[in-house]
Amino acid sequence: MLRLRARPLRIALVGNPNVGKSVVFGALTGRYATVSNYPGTTVSVTKGRALVGAEVCDLVDTPGVNALSGAISEDERITRAVLERGEADLIVQVADARNIRRALMLSAEIAMYKRPVLLALNMIDEALARGIAVNAAELSRQLGVPVIEMVATEGRGLQALRDALPDAAPLRIPRARDAAARAAWAHELTARVRTVSTLSLAYMQEALSRATRSPITGIPILAVVLYTMYLFVGVFGAQTLVGMMENDVFGRAVNPAATWLVDRALPFQVAHDFFVGEYGLITMGLTYAVAIVLPVVTTFFLLFGFLEDSGYIPRLAVFSDRIFRAMGLNGKAVLPMVLGLGCDTMATMTTRILSTPKERLIAILLLALGIPCSAQLATILGILGGVSFAAVLTLFSVVLAQMFIVGWLAGQLLRGQRSDFIMELPPIRLPKLRNLVTKTRMRVWWYLGEAVPLFLAGTVLLFVLDRLDALDAVAAAGRPVVTGMLGLPPETAQILMMGFLRRDYGAAGLFHLAQTGQLTGVQAVVALTVMTLFIPCVANFLMIVKERGLRVAMVLLSVITPIAILTGTGLHYVFDAFGVRF
Amino acid sequence: MSSMHLVSGSKELRTLSSLPPGARGTVHRVQARAGDRVDRLMALGVTAGAPITVLQTFPGVVFLCDQTELAVERAVADTILVRPAEE
Repeated sequence: MLRLRARPLRIALVGNPNVGKSVVFGALTGRYATVSNYPGTTVSVTKGRALVGAEVCDLVDTPGVNALSGAISEDERITRAVLERGEADLIVQVADARNIRRALMLSAEIAMYKRPVLLALNMIDEALARGIAVNAAELSRQLGVPVIEMVATEGRGLQALRDALPDAAPLRIPRARDAAARAAWAHELTARVRTVSTLSLAYMQEALSRATRSPITGIPILAVVLYTMYLFVGVFGAQTLVGMMENDVFGRAVNPAATWLVDRALPFQVAHDFFVGEYGLITMGLTYAVAIVLPVVTTFFLLFGFLEDSGYIPRLAVFSDRIFRAMGLNGKAVLPMVLGLGCDTMATMTTRILSTPKERLIAILLLALGIPCSAQLATILGILGGVSFAAVLTLFSVVLAQMFIVGWLAGQLLRGQRSDFIMELPPIRLPKLRNLVTKTRMRVWWYLGEAVPLFLAGTVLLFVLDRLDALDAVAAAGRPVVTGMLGLPPETAQILMMGFLRRDYGAAGLFHLAQTGQLTGVQAVVALTVMTLFIPCVANFLMIVKERGLRVAMVLLSVITPIAILTGTGLHYVFDAFGVRF
Repeated sequence: MSSMHLVSGSKELRTLSSLPPGARGTVHRVQARAGDRVDRLMALGVTAGAPITVLQTFPGVVFLCDQTELAVERAVADTILVRPAEE
């Protein structure tokens, strides 16, 4: 019952993974919580406000849960904590109409918290297309709670959900002895309220679903996906768009205009150098962030969002399970690894879906060590795309080999165990354009908010060091490593230093160096390999501290840095010995 | 028509890993010593009576359990006991 209260009614959205909780959350609050088509998109709680009738409600979107007791993962524990701490006055259980059997098993656990509940049967359109019909009225009678049929992505059933909130009531479910008894009850009730006909209209989705997971068709499909990514992000984003932004927008418009303005408004040499000089805020900081990195990040996030929403990514787990097992992980780890290509910091959080602490640690290590994020991928493709395809291939083979070796060693050395590979594959779906656009826009904004300040801060630091003639000192200090061990020009020292701040910032510096012909192909490969193997950025480091503690973060840092430098040194000597040229 | 009737055939039990793609049946039980595996499979709906269709057996075992598509490694499939459906 809704009645007058001192604080807003707190509503928790709870349900199995990938049933659309975040879509319902977004529709009710107007706040966007990332929506994708795989279990584990939401790994922390998102809060928002919604107006229901005349009442203000606090909504909580929770990570998906298959169970609230027994062996559960870290993200599932977060949801359990919300319920256990009594942070919800009312629970909206969101269920996939196709799969009410599993939803009911969860309902039986939710019932134990004795809160008013409302059941939202989502995706009834997909269920119908597959010949599945649920008798919502009968289900509502059996459970003693309102049951609302919904297609949340289209807004269908939202008003009914709002209207039914006052009728929410505790679930009437017989108390079960254990999980097996709850399962038996759910099985029996499902048989009574659901009918399944053999008629399915989802042929296309089912055919694609088959093709993407069996090796004969799946491997060629993966090759096509990667090649498309190269064309769209590496060629269209990193070359066409970057060229346009750098030469036309910044080269012809922004930078000359800024120079004109600065020279008129602040006619001092220092001001000129600070804003539009060699290490200028605008000519270097802003140009790197907006002209070089932004186009690639945007094209990447668009394509990546498409892959996320199609349900394709989890299918890669079927192929990669054996490889990951050699590294003390299992196929499930493909999810954080692929997400790392978007952003290593976010992916570090996604490791929560892995089952054991050992697996999480190895996954975090591999993310920090080898997975280039979208911004860095941008600069790698930008530089090496101009050198040769062999150079790109060399870089990625070296980084992958290094990840495998380090992963294998970590798997052997770390205590703890690997968990079983048991993974749910989401259905293949045609992505919704609206979600794709919203998600990309949110991510691009987030990138700008995250990266631009650091790019500017890094530029100011470079400017100050340059003024104090300290850059030469940095170059001198780095000389034994940079020119001696790695065989790079001395100016690379300052760029590698900036690489500690953000790998993509360092890589953007290399991009600049390569463009002006100060780097040979071999040097570019060596420098980029070292940079790729560094910890991605300060934000990633802080996330590791948050997830695993300062001690673990320091250990990772002190393992990763020497690996990066020694690998680069090895490469330099091998290239030298065999006279390799790119 | 319900998809949920218990198949009470006389056919002997088989492990999931021994069934070819396309085979159908119902879950009898999960025969694992480790509690974690039973918990996790059960939470995903692999419980007694659930209808199963084997979809793929290489490189991992992929099967449809009721309406959920699941991928597991062979060692896990070895411990899922299935009662094959009558032809």
